[in-house]
Amino acid sequence: MDSQQQLAAEPPSDLEGGALSEFLDRFAPPSRQLHWLVAIPVLLLFITGLTNFWPEAKALHLGGARLFAWLHVLLGFAFAGALVLALLTVMPRRSARRDARELLTVRLADYLWLQHQALRAAGQRSVGPRVGKFNAGQKLNAVLTTAATLALTGTGLMLGVNYWRKDVFDVDFVAGLFRWHTVLSVLLLPLVLGHIYMATLNPGTRESLRGIVLGRVRRAWAERHHPAWAERALSEQTASRRERDERDERDERDA
Amino acid sequence: MADETRTTAPDGPREGRSRRLISRARFLGLVVGGVAVGALSMRVFGLVDGWRENTVESSRPVFDPESYRLTVDGMVERPLTVGYDALRGLPAVRQVSDFHCVEGWKVPDARWDGVRFQTLADLVGPLPEAKFVTFHSLGGVYRDALTLDQALLPDVLIAYDLDGAPLSQVRGAPARLVMPRMFGYKGPKWLTRIEFRDGRDVGYWERRGWRVDAWIRSSS
Repeated sequence: MDSQQQLAAEPPSDLEGGALSEFLDRFAPPSRQLHWLVAIPVLLLFITGLTNFWPEAKALHLGGARLFAWLHVLLGFAFAGALVLALLTVMPRRSARRDARELLTVRLADYLWLQHQALRAAGQRSVGPRVGKFNAGQKLNAVLTTAATLALTGTGLMLGVNYWRKDVFDVDFVAGLFRWHTVLSVLLLPLVLGHIYMATLNPGTRESLRGIVLGRVRRAWAERHHPAWAERALSEQTASRRERDERDERDERDA
Repeated sequence: MADETRTTAPDGPREGRSRRLISRARFLGLVVGGVAVGALSMRVFGLVDGWRENTVESSRPVFDPESYRLTVDGMVERPLTVGYDALRGLPAVRQVSDFHCVEGWKVPDARWDGVRFQTLADLVGPLPEAKFVTFHSLGGVYRDALTLDQALLPDVLIAYDLDGAPLSQVRGAPARLVMPRMFGYKGPKWLTRIEFRDGRDVGYWERRGWRVDAWIRSSS
């Protein structure tokens, strides 16, 4: 190593052909797997479930099985099973626990961020706080979505049992479940649609999609939207790569 | 809360992260409380309660008050055919009962106006061999059947008004069978013919494996 590289505050550019400085690692595989394992079934459950408001689609049936109701119930059971397995395998992972913990942590920056958004919405000039890995909107969305999904799973499992066995639950109890299941899905729908819009169309936020698909995001975007996290991620990334390089060097020497 | 100090302390000062405002438990409580308030207010607004439509007809049968006839025939002494006005002229009752759909939803306290099946049966006089009754829909696709004993229960109605107004097309205009002790699929909408029979007819869904006697078991 020559002295020039040791003096540089920025990571050396020869590591990974410069990729280090362009992208930051945002989500490790466990968090990404959990996200898609929930996202894909939830979308399918919405599509099959919303036919409840569409009599023509609801009328489709194969024999005595109403197509969408049957698919919805089957998907629901599969989803609940997969969710339990995923939580058991994903949540022991350090990276996923760290993400979950940060999503559940309310900081002063979150209050300031909400205030900043309110002021901006009112057309006033405002400087936002240095946001960490998640801003207050992302935290609220994550917690609300998770709570609604768990409640929908709970009510849905009992409704699924009732789909096949009408003698297990009292009809008035079932009617209550049905109502809450509907209310929760109607509350969840705008959250999910807003989430998809921000991840795919909204120019300022759609870079985040790369994070949940490929695991990394552009550093320039991260420094603008999540500056406190970007700083930390960069130093962690640099440290871990330096460690790895040193280990490789050692191994080469020993070999 | 040793866990929290462990997780935040090492990062905190190093990255200049902002301090935490409230505990995670309180944050979760606030969120769950917010959802409950939102859900309850929606319940008050009745956004998700009420009737949902189920039909297997290719299109909703259209009812014309001039040409509509309700035929009551089969194994009876005096077959009967009545128009819409004549049906409304028969001795009527008002009945408040819960409506339960097999899908799981219910409409509490639906207020029906109509003719008791008992009244119609007295008018036509079932023959001794009549044991079953089939109810036919205007669209020609849907029909369902009850035993005569089930149909003669006092709360079985041929209803033409719901909550004080004539049945809408979606709810089954001009008349539908109301059988509050069974799930809704036992009560055909757009009723056009009531047929007394000696053998059991199998309804639309029952041919596809659904229960013939869809009794509702309820604690209330």
